[in-house]
Amino acid sequence: MARVHYGVWNGVVHNNRGITPIDIPISSELSGIDTFNEGNHIRAFFGDKGFLVFDPGVNLLDALWRHMAKAAQESCGKCTPCRVGTRLVLNALDQLRQGKKPPGSWDEIRMLAEQIRSTSLCGLGQTCATALLGAFDHFRGKLEEDALTSQMPQQYGMAYMTSPCIEACPSKVDVPSSISYLRNGKPTHSLGVILQKYPMAATCGRVCLHFCEMACRRNLVDEAVNIKSLKRYVADYQRSLNTYSFSKSMAAPAQPPNLRVAVIGAGPAGINCAYHLLLKGYHVDVLESSQQAGGMAERGIPSYRLPKEILKSETDTIESLGGKFRYGMTMGRDFSINSLFDLGYKSIFLALGCSQGALLGSAGEDPSLEGYVSGIDFLLQVHKHVDGTRPMRLSGDVVVVGGGNVAMDCARSAIRLGADRVHIIYRRTREDMPADSEEIAAAEKEGILFHYLTHPTRIVPENGRLKEIELVAMRQTALDPSGRRGVEPDPGTDRLFKCDLLIAAIGQQVDRAALTPEDNIKVNKRGLIEVDHSTQATSRAGVFAGGDCTLGPATLIHAMTNGLNAARCIDDYLHYGRVRFSPVNRISQILKDNEMLANECMEVPVKSQVRVHHPELDPEVRRQMFGEVEQPITATQAYAEAERCMRCYRVYSVITESPIPEGHTLETQPPAAP
Amino acid sequence: MQAFINEQELNAMPAETILEAARRTGHYIPTLCELADIDHRPGTCRVCLVEIQRKGQDETRVVTSCNTPMEEGLQVRTRTKKVREMQRLQVELLLADHDQDCAACIRHGNCELQDVAQFVGLQESRFARWTLPMERHVDISSPALVRDMRRCIRCFRCVTICREGQAIDALEITGSGMSTEVGLRNGSSQVESDCVTCGQCIMVCPTGALAEKDDTEIVIDYLYDPQFITVFQFAPAIRVGFGEEFGLAAGQNVEGQIIGALRKLGADIILDTNFAADLVIMEEGTELLSHLKEGRRPTLTSCCPAWINFAERHYPDVLPYLSTTKSPQQSLGMIAKTYLPKKMGLDPERVRVISIMPCTAKKDEIVRPQLNHDGMREVDVVLTIREFARLLRREGIDLKALEPSTFDNPYMTEYSGAGAIFGTTGGVMEAAVRTMYYVLNGRELESIEISALRGFENVRTAQIDLHDEIGIVKLAMCHGLKGTRAIVEDILSGRADFDFIEIMACPGGCVDGGGQLRSKKSYLSHALKRRDTLFGIDRNAAVRQSHNNRQIQALYRDFLGKPQSELAHHLLHTYYTDRKQTLNRMIKDVWREVHRPLA
Repeated sequence: MARVHYGVWNGVVHNNRGITPIDIPISSELSGIDTFNEGNHIRAFFGDKGFLVFDPGVNLLDALWRHMAKAAQESCGKCTPCRVGTRLVLNALDQLRQGKKPPGSWDEIRMLAEQIRSTSLCGLGQTCATALLGAFDHFRGKLEEDALTSQMPQQYGMAYMTSPCIEACPSKVDVPSSISYLRNGKPTHSLGVILQKYPMAATCGRVCLHFCEMACRRNLVDEAVNIKSLKRYVADYQRSLNTYSFSKSMAAPAQPPNLRVAVIGAGPAGINCAYHLLLKGYHVDVLESSQQAGGMAERGIPSYRLPKEILKSETDTIESLGGKFRYGMTMGRDFSINSLFDLGYKSIFLALGCSQGALLGSAGEDPSLEGYVSGIDFLLQVHKHVDGTRPMRLSGDVVVVGGGNVAMDCARSAIRLGADRVHIIYRRTREDMPADSEEIAAAEKEGILFHYLTHPTRIVPENGRLKEIELVAMRQTALDPSGRRGVEPDPGTDRLFKCDLLIAAIGQQVDRAALTPEDNIKVNKRGLIEVDHSTQATSRAGVFAGGDCTLGPATLIHAMTNGLNAARCIDDYLHYGRVRFSPVNRISQILKDNEMLANECMEVPVKSQVRVHHPELDPEVRRQMFGEVEQPITATQAYAEAERCMRCYRVYSVITESPIPEGHTLETQPPAAP
Repeated sequence: MQAFINEQELNAMPAETILEAARRTGHYIPTLCELADIDHRPGTCRVCLVEIQRKGQDETRVVTSCNTPMEEGLQVRTRTKKVREMQRLQVELLLADHDQDCAACIRHGNCELQDVAQFVGLQESRFARWTLPMERHVDISSPALVRDMRRCIRCFRCVTICREGQAIDALEITGSGMSTEVGLRNGSSQVESDCVTCGQCIMVCPTGALAEKDDTEIVIDYLYDPQFITVFQFAPAIRVGFGEEFGLAAGQNVEGQIIGALRKLGADIILDTNFAADLVIMEEGTELLSHLKEGRRPTLTSCCPAWINFAERHYPDVLPYLSTTKSPQQSLGMIAKTYLPKKMGLDPERVRVISIMPCTAKKDEIVRPQLNHDGMREVDVVLTIREFARLLRREGIDLKALEPSTFDNPYMTEYSGAGAIFGTTGGVMEAAVRTMYYVLNGRELESIEISALRGFENVRTAQIDLHDEIGIVKLAMCHGLKGTRAIVEDILSGRADFDFIEIMACPGGCVDGGGQLRSKKSYLSHALKRRDTLFGIDRNAAVRQSHNNRQIQALYRDFLGKPQSELAHHLLHTYYTDRKQTLNRMIKDVWREVHRPLA
């Protein structure tokens, strides 16, 4: 129920000074901006497009100083106006807010602010002075009043620097910082920024869905910065030089020995939760039902996209940090939640994954029929083929049903295994396919045949083995209220289709045998574990869950984010008995609710620079083998690509009524320097 | 596409920046960080501002011309009041962040920042009195280079030339805000870093932030202390790179004036490094022939100290392929402290050898432990050409006003045309071929100027028939370390098929060494002129082969015996050591630096 007392936002001046607060209309544009944490009202908000004051008592001068302090602190120091200008303006504001005479005049301060805004190189400088200029141009009287206050104002609040790519990343990786470090000749630091969030940087640099790139403002000029490849570059480069290392000694001073945590599942969510808990000094055991770590990244992603040794080198980090893997431990068979608590674990993280294939729902579907296999089981067989334990050879027509990345992986693996023809059957259109567009394009290049708006209705066996399937054409229905078209079978279009192997890759489910009623964990009707998505807490105290077993089949980065979040919350739980408020998550939520980083545009022409692409093995060659398709980029290419980043940083800050409680920070804190 | 600069219509080319279009059509825009010759436009100084108006828009915007592209219908104005005021303010901001002790600066009067301040009409530097802290580093750890980051304007040209020009990538941008500066990778000091001290960064630095370590004071001490006998030598490329400093034509041979200046300075003995170049050919050529006979290949030259640094610090596996012959500078120093005192009846303890070199790495070379003998350095001081100019000014000598003079020392000043061309890429190779041919065949090579060796590509290859038992030899010449890196990787992976490879670390060779005169807003602009003059010296030389140098013949007859003799080995050959650094960082140390505290 924010009532804007005064301010300037996006060029629009709001001035309700002198009006009784209850007569000020409630702003319809702002949402969820009344309080910061419970009972702590937001008095003013500052951002890239201006500022809004909700409380007439705010000391505007001091608030602007706080906002500018963040900008000056974060200035990378490369371009002149931001490096020198922010510091000069900050010093002058500091004098003014203390009631002292600044070194220059008000007009000189304004002139500097204008120089910072008009001539800075990156988004930080271009946007950090907007609020200040709005205040100088429209509320100079208020500033002069504030400058007359003789005592140092006591105001509370926080400032936050972010960018569209950071906010788009589930893990909030500081992408521009990572890229700047590379550009600055500090590749270890570039990787260090990523490792603050998760240890699987080379893995993520190969298979991430890169939401960051979708938000990249470079899309408005030419193409997004190839963030994923730069991540892979720094991770591969460092590993090849062996220039960084993890060790047990780098963890924070050890926690009390009784605070042991069990992580169930060594997939991306479990690995990342264990990683952050280990860094915080906890004793962590990771229980995994298979014989290796990696979860879906290991079983579900073929080695032509993610070589197994790369994944292993990254999951090994857990052991370098002193964590233990206990393989062959299946929940529901070898242990239960109760038995883990009985063994003395104080908290448990469930990262069970979705390891069972979902059924197609076609008539005559029988998962035990020869020639029928779920996508996830097929990928497991492929894995055994690649590591040589059980070689496999396909022929004839392979039909993959589904439109996600698993479907693409199955199809591309099938062609490598010698299938004569590989078909993908998908009930919607190409545009609707959830698979990564690069995966779809790669599959097309390798000669996979796509059948859109098609669905298998019946499975036809002959002599106990699959022979044909019956397909029906689907047609699109009118737009539903959410703007999406449904599909329905087009009657009379049934046809039989030759099929030697049917791979059902429409989704996966949590293994139903893992949880029993005694575990006392609530699951929803899809069989997924119910959690509070801000804390990863399940219905049972001390038990947290994340990854696919709570989300359904999702992405690597979402799973790792859940693991990171769970580690913070488990840390809070073990130390405070509750999960603390997170200031950074809150401010990030405000930006999201108010679409602060949406509707970006380019106001001046920007020189086009070609995006780097990974050299790829020739489709004719790669169809024959499981070696990695995407080849590395060179140092020269990496530097050139890093140059394309425009560093679209923006600073946001709030002034609140009372101090903002301390919570965990965005990054894993390094242990204090000795 | 049609666009306008200062209301004048022009046809802008695709992907052309405003700055490029303005330069092409004669509209001057001041720039500072940009350096077109090395394709460098980081957009950091923000001085090259122009006001633009896009087609169909009323409002104007101020943008930097270096990285803003032209577009259809764009109106560009370079001299509006707003632009001029903002350019001036930008330079004021640069100065607020700058050590303004200009009179004490090594670039005083030859500084791109001073130039741009003049262009924008700077009359006062308002923000200098807003007193900002200056927490940037001065690194004097190296005997060759000094880094004074208080004078850095963050153009990052040094980073580009090191990373892309030389492919060393020894630099990093470090710190944040006002303390942002260029440092050596991993926070190393200059002397402990991966830097090879080629000095190309100095050649592009617009201010006094990067410079050679100034040793003129030591030379003045020697000159005015009667207990010392000062022996000067100057390198082949000095005589063609020095005239501009005193208003003479670029590339002009000023050998005579340099001798005159040295004499006026009070030099006791004036020698020529060209003489030692001939000596090196005798030793290295002999060494190479024995390698060829043994089937050892390839052999790599060893006269360039930045190349030696590169091999020792970056590719120690290539060291066994290097010739053991010392560089001409060191060979001359050694002979000047052994043979010369004997001939002239001097006390070698009193001899101080001072080199004038187009090179910063030569300062590194003289302190190598292998080239120091019981506290005696083979060469005592190296002055770059820039310090030599400074020395003359400090002693009130104007090169232009001097009558050319000639050498008078009868032992170590004569040189052949082969020695003279050592200063340019391909020169060592050509000199060696002339002598090796003679040694093998007992007669001179007929077509003495080997055009196959005289190209200017960074890596060149040629085949020469030496006849006799050797036959055809495969040669390669490489200048600039980017090409060198490629050729070294080829050698180590077994892909290279060469007998003899000449390497010079600086692009162009010594004629554009890191110790040559600086030029403003250009890079390698005089290389070819200087090179032509060197070829001219060779063409006009009475003696064109090292082995025909009579003073060299006398040196062997009276002192060394023959090339590769035991004494020659003792005095003129050296060895190399693995100096590669390996670094293993704990990720937590990195995190301490990248962690961003919440405000």
